[in-house]
Amino acid sequence: MAAHDLKDDAVRGHSRRDFLRGSSVAAATAVLTGQATTAIEEAKAAESEPKVLSGELKITLQVNGESRSCTVEPRSTLLDTLRHRLDVTGPKRVCDRASCGACTTIVDGVPVYSCTTLAVACQGKKIETLESFDTGPAGVPHAFHQHDGLMCGYCTPGFVTACKALLDKNPNPTLDEVRRGLDGNICRCGTYIGVLEAALAAAKAMKGA
Amino acid sequence: MAAWPKEPRLIGTKVPRLDGLAKASGKAKYPSDVRPEGTLFGVVLYSPHANATVKSIDTAAAEKMPGVKGIVVIAGQGKKLRFQGDDIAIVAAETEEQARDAVRAIKVDYEVLPHCVTESQSMDEKAPQVFDGGNVRKARAIVKGKPEEALEKADVVVEGTYSLPVITHVCLEPHGLTAQAEGSSKITAWASTQAVTVVAGELAGSFNISPADVTVLTEVMGGGFGSKFGADIWGRTAAELSKKCGGRPVKVFLDRAQEHLAAGNRPSATGHVKLGASKDGKLVAMIAETYGTGGVRGGSNFPLPYVYDLKNSSRAHAEVSVNAGGARAMRAPGHPQGCAIMEAALDDLAAKLGMDPVEIRVKNLAEVDNVRGGRQGETINRTPMYEAQLKLGAELIGWRDKYKPRGENGKGVVKRGLGVALHQWGGGGAADKQVSCTINPDGSVEIKSATQDIGTGARTILAMITAEVLGLKPTDIKSNIGNSTFPPGQSSGGSTTTPSMSPPCLAAATQARAAFFNKIAPALSTDAETLSLKDGQVWVNGEPTMSWKDACRKLGMASISETGKFADGLSSVGVGGCQFAEVEVDTETGVVRVKKIVAIQDSGLIIDKLTWESQVYGGVIGGLNYGLFEERVMDPTTGVMLNPDMELYKLAGASDIPEIIVRAYETEEMKNRGVIGVGEPPTIATAAAIANAVANAIGVRVPDWPMSPRNVLNALASKEGKA
Repeated sequence: MAAHDLKDDAVRGHSRRDFLRGSSVAAATAVLTGQATTAIEEAKAAESEPKVLSGELKITLQVNGESRSCTVEPRSTLLDTLRHRLDVTGPKRVCDRASCGACTTIVDGVPVYSCTTLAVACQGKKIETLESFDTGPAGVPHAFHQHDGLMCGYCTPGFVTACKALLDKNPNPTLDEVRRGLDGNICRCGTYIGVLEAALAAAKAMKGA
Repeated sequence: MAAWPKEPRLIGTKVPRLDGLAKASGKAKYPSDVRPEGTLFGVVLYSPHANATVKSIDTAAAEKMPGVKGIVVIAGQGKKLRFQGDDIAIVAAETEEQARDAVRAIKVDYEVLPHCVTESQSMDEKAPQVFDGGNVRKARAIVKGKPEEALEKADVVVEGTYSLPVITHVCLEPHGLTAQAEGSSKITAWASTQAVTVVAGELAGSFNISPADVTVLTEVMGGGFGSKFGADIWGRTAAELSKKCGGRPVKVFLDRAQEHLAAGNRPSATGHVKLGASKDGKLVAMIAETYGTGGVRGGSNFPLPYVYDLKNSSRAHAEVSVNAGGARAMRAPGHPQGCAIMEAALDDLAAKLGMDPVEIRVKNLAEVDNVRGGRQGETINRTPMYEAQLKLGAELIGWRDKYKPRGENGKGVVKRGLGVALHQWGGGGAADKQVSCTINPDGSVEIKSATQDIGTGARTILAMITAEVLGLKPTDIKSNIGNSTFPPGQSSGGSTTTPSMSPPCLAAATQARAAFFNKIAPALSTDAETLSLKDGQVWVNGEPTMSWKDACRKLGMASISETGKFADGLSSVGVGGCQFAEVEVDTETGVVRVKKIVAIQDSGLIIDKLTWESQVYGGVIGGLNYGLFEERVMDPTTGVMLNPDMELYKLAGASDIPEIIVRAYETEEMKNRGVIGVGEPPTIATAAAIANAVANAIGVRVPDWPMSPRNVLNALASKEGKA
């Protein structure tokens, strides 16, 4: 999974680079320039500077095309917010520390581990869970169903989501690319054979083959 | 005498599971997904110490925390905490975040006591005696024949110590349930369990009410593997908290660390084995001294000798207690351990004799190894079946072309090797389960039973059987399970669900069909005997006459409902299988990669070939995990588990999965036996076959599982005299 690659920082919009730009760089600029520019720079910096949030916060998230409001704490993860506050229970909580992929959710087009993503950081972003995926014959869920790429099914939402994100990026994956694309997910029942078959079948179906 | 249809349309075909699309689209509601109105979140406080006494516990500050609605103390003052992860208290609060804060605010004063967390620590003469009756309980040896004498006369003897570590279940959905109490008289629970009826009984017991007043719901569930048979202290406390909080639902699911620590594990196994044979490779005697730990609960014994015919044997097992979570049944309890140790010793003996591993196995099968046939009193000799399986497996792995004797796998750094192992299991059914089948005037059909689908496809199998009898499609059947108030159903354990539930399901559907025929025959101006069902049509004298739906309308206002019971002749018990593994070992890094596995398995009559194959693939991949990765690591100094997570507790990912060839050994003789379960057998031999392939590749036995780089490099070093 590419969620934590530096190259994706620009897409995700909450990167280490942004953090540096927002704080020390802005301060340094203020020293070097005149009063007027400083004020503008400071105002700009204030927008991107890290804010201290505390207590209970009312937030609105764009989930599967709908605006959903709820109350969270700054520490509330995207996963717990989806599951415990919005009843979007497709993504599952399994390891709760970004090892197993069961919580995989697509944020602004990029698959992320929602168990280690803060809900407050997802405001204004497009959040997609597998509940919004096409369940027809051209969709990933259908391929998992037909190829029995699931048993107990608790890892399945993560695999289906990672698979969808992979195919959106690479509609023509080889078996090895599918393996690598799904290596951020763990299944305990051992359904990998069905999962791999399903991913390749879904790639075909999505192309209308 | 009951019998399966002779020419089935559905049974034995590949039918995708009924709930597959719901699961694959995130719409299926697991017990941990359910959040009834007003739900409070429960969080468990558990012991950070391996051995301690609670000197005092103060919840006053926690009770005043925001959102906290109730606290139940499980281990009060003076109570012993016997392992890291042992329960102390559960807090219920409006949000999970608030419940976690309150858990941190509970003040516990511990008297920390000395601990033993590993077998060697516990077995040391100077070890603190931390368990009543001593840390080690040794059972008397079970002796058959004259093993000492026979071993002395043996032409060749191997002696070795083999060991498998404790591993944990790692159910992806944690243990837990959401409980809603209605006063003191009724409870509803959404439980992640493999036994709805057991959970109902347990909750009823703790509330002192009738199990009929408890409804346990398990629509789907996220894995159990033998560790989820009860409500547990967590579920019982959730119910208690719900009662305490005025009937608000309380949701308690464990965090991942406590899952590893407290929710069950597979015991370790160590065996010191002496195995002797005559020159021709025929086993003459085995003497084995074994031990293992099931933590604070015991249960580490395992079958040994295993599979092979030994006229002379002695086996003594010692149960070692350690300060770690209690063992629970795990997928074929005891068998993977017994299989690994037996098959390793046998392979070492074959290597010493310079004998082909397949040949020595065939040579040592019992002349007669009878298991049950299709009916009471009938038997089948398993030995020719094993022989046929070995022949087929050897062909599929390419044994004849690829096999080289141990240590003769080239001079390169990366070496290839082949290994083989056999296993056996029961997998029979319970005779006291029931299924109801209802045919409604609108044409809908519903079957009900208080069993559940642990992931094997139980729901789909019941629908297939019903659809087979009624001439419908499996998707036409509402297969309603996972509810403790339904007719008594089987727990999902021991590979017994399908053999227990299929016979009463066939009976229910057959009885319902007969009642249906009797009811509609007059409306069709014919006799019931002239009617049959096929392709969604009612046939009269072999001619399609009326659609199923139209015929059902003739029922008027009254549905037909029949309850089926178990009948002899539809299921059996006792299976065997063999597995072959091909591996590649990097002798510089110690990294083992499995390249190919062949699994041959019999399980009588197969209902759904698709989910059957998934179970066998899954069993093999589980075995690959035991073979290569899994290991609970305890720190002797601090007494804590070092890998209670999912990154250092390793499990296979997509890139670790080799080519896997699965074949059903499904002869007419096997089909005639009826249904036998398959959840467990195919996970038994894999780790043994992998280890034998590693030894074959590198020329030295890696005696300790898993086949991790550390264990492989240690074995290579000992071969070079560097250990």
